[in-house]
Amino acid sequence: MGLKKLTEKLAAYFERLETGKAQKIKPDHVHKVLDKLRAKEAELRDKLAHAETDEQRARLQQKLKVTEEHIARAEYLLTAIGREG
Amino acid sequence: MRSFFLPVALGALILAFWLNPSVQDIAAGVAIFLFGMMMLEDGFRLLGGGVLERILQASTRSTPRAVLFGAVSTALLQSSSLVSVITISFLSTGLISLIGGVGVIFGANIGTTTGAWLVAGLGLKVNIAAFAMPMIALSIVLVFQKVRPLRGIGYALAGMGFLFLGIHYMKVGFDSFKDEIDLARFAIDGVAGLVIFSLIGAVATVVMQSSHATMTLIITALAAGQITYDNALALAIGANIGTTITAIIGALSANFQGKRLALAHFVFNTLTAFVALVLIVPLREFVDWLSAALGIGAADYALKLAVFHTVFNLLGLGLMLPALTPLIAFLTRRIPKPRLDISEPHFLSDAVDGFPETLETALRKELVHLYENAAGILLKGLNLNQQQVYDSDDIPALVRASRQPVEIDMDAAYEQRVKTLYAAIVDYATHIGSDDQHPERIERIHALRDVASDIVQAVKSVKHLRKNILHHTTTERGAVTEIYDDLRAEIARIVAEIRTLGQTPPESRSALWLDQERATVEDRARHTTQKVDALIRSRHLSAADATSFLNDSSYAFAAMRDLIEAARSFYIERDPAIAAVEHLVSLDLDEMHETLKGDIQR
Repeated sequence: MGLKKLTEKLAAYFERLETGKAQKIKPDHVHKVLDKLRAKEAELRDKLAHAETDEQRARLQQKLKVTEEHIARAEYLLTAIGREG
Repeated sequence: MRSFFLPVALGALILAFWLNPSVQDIAAGVAIFLFGMMMLEDGFRLLGGGVLERILQASTRSTPRAVLFGAVSTALLQSSSLVSVITISFLSTGLISLIGGVGVIFGANIGTTTGAWLVAGLGLKVNIAAFAMPMIALSIVLVFQKVRPLRGIGYALAGMGFLFLGIHYMKVGFDSFKDEIDLARFAIDGVAGLVIFSLIGAVATVVMQSSHATMTLIITALAAGQITYDNALALAIGANIGTTITAIIGALSANFQGKRLALAHFVFNTLTAFVALVLIVPLREFVDWLSAALGIGAADYALKLAVFHTVFNLLGLGLMLPALTPLIAFLTRRIPKPRLDISEPHFLSDAVDGFPETLETALRKELVHLYENAAGILLKGLNLNQQQVYDSDDIPALVRASRQPVEIDMDAAYEQRVKTLYAAIVDYATHIGSDDQHPERIERIHALRDVASDIVQAVKSVKHLRKNILHHTTTERGAVTEIYDDLRAEIARIVAEIRTLGQTPPESRSALWLDQERATVEDRARHTTQKVDALIRSRHLSAADATSFLNDSSYAFAAMRDLIEAARSFYIERDPAIAAVEHLVSLDLDEMHETLKGDIQR
């Protein structure tokens, strides 16, 4: 998981937050996104199990990878804002 | 008819001023009163900032709440027309149901009766002109402020001041008028009096476009002894009928929902007036009894008229509420929903202009309409059937099977189904760009305008592809057909993905779903040249076809990027904190490439 850019984005976000240009992210906000992502992950796994062609399987696997990466980043974000907050 | 009205009205006023100077005070009082109402409306519009709209949406979940909202908001704003206009704008965008809207209008009828109480209870008993002058003087300082709420308070204060001043002039006019002419001698008793004065009340309300102004005029004339109590009751009933004619004239330019609401208003007020006229004797006795119970003097006819006004409107509410469901069925049958013309805007209309929150919702709905029209044109342009694409589990297979040319004149379709909607979206989005609105809302609305622009650009890009799509995909031509099929499948897949995203409930969807689509598009775009080079080298593709394809593919990828960007902006989280989370979690193209290293199909 390449988190370098996320760390940079997060630093920029905290700067904006200090100047009042961004809304404060609370754990609840991250949990809401995580819930959507986990539901999507489950949906993709289900579709993958029922995929009929190699092309469909390949696309679904890519989507699953991207969603897993989103989840990993959201979990990292949850820890990061926990440290800051 | 209208061309005669103005000279006749002006001539009649000038003649009346010449015959009796006291008429000037009365007429000026009415004019100042109406001006005050307009200022009050403007003030509340500025001050509201969408508050009224938000409360309205929450208040129409049940009929009793809708009635209560109509009554309370009209009592506070002293303007049933403002409440009606907002209700029509909400109905036309589908934000509230017809039954909710009708409930609000019924409630507004009750709320408007508070005006008579204010005039009879306060306006005639206190020297309100003493309050009017300082209110107007203070208001002008506030009106020149840049801060929106302060300006709103200024307009509302000025409106209130002018209302008071108008009542004062009407009072002064009638007081001096009675020294010269005794209008009470024109009083008519019995049924004839009831009918004639009801008609006069209705006509006066149509002319002044305000039942509130008519009621004020009736109360001040009654207090000055210029009309009898019985005739005043008939005038008040007539004013209730007259106000519905004003609403019907207003609804002529509204959509079918606005017309249904105006008809509901007409049915309510006409039936109430009819019942009040039939039951005038027992009603009058009941009002006498109730007034005595409330401690109102037997000779205080102005306050008793206010009691009558409230009682007969409550009677109407009591009669109509149990009949609400059949009334809605009647309205729906009488004014059916017209067949919608897909080339015309469905949600953006004059009814939503002036209400920023409603306008934003209408814009969002119109964008979905634009997208559906654009998607249909795009897919037909690619020789694909829209419904088949939406229903398909295997779009590449569907594309390979779609070899029949689909009839479409891309230029005409663009002009009829896209350009008109786009023009309406740009027009309404630009309206809101005044400094009167909240900056965040302006930003959101401008972002929606950009979404429309992206959708339009996507259609324009596909227009460029049409000729070669027809040429290469309606008959099997080997590699060139395959590469064009790949482009068709990619665009169709994105159109279908965006539709799926739109159909997912807002609490479950995320613009993050489009990250992977974006990465696939960029990856495909990067590898197209390599793929074409390989096909030329292997002599599966001629140089002429290759150059055409490379040109077409740049349009196709532009269309894909525009569609994805439009969907990302449209479905972005509206809660700024959650939008920030999604922004942080989303992957840029390099990160996406890293994540899918070796995975993206070549």
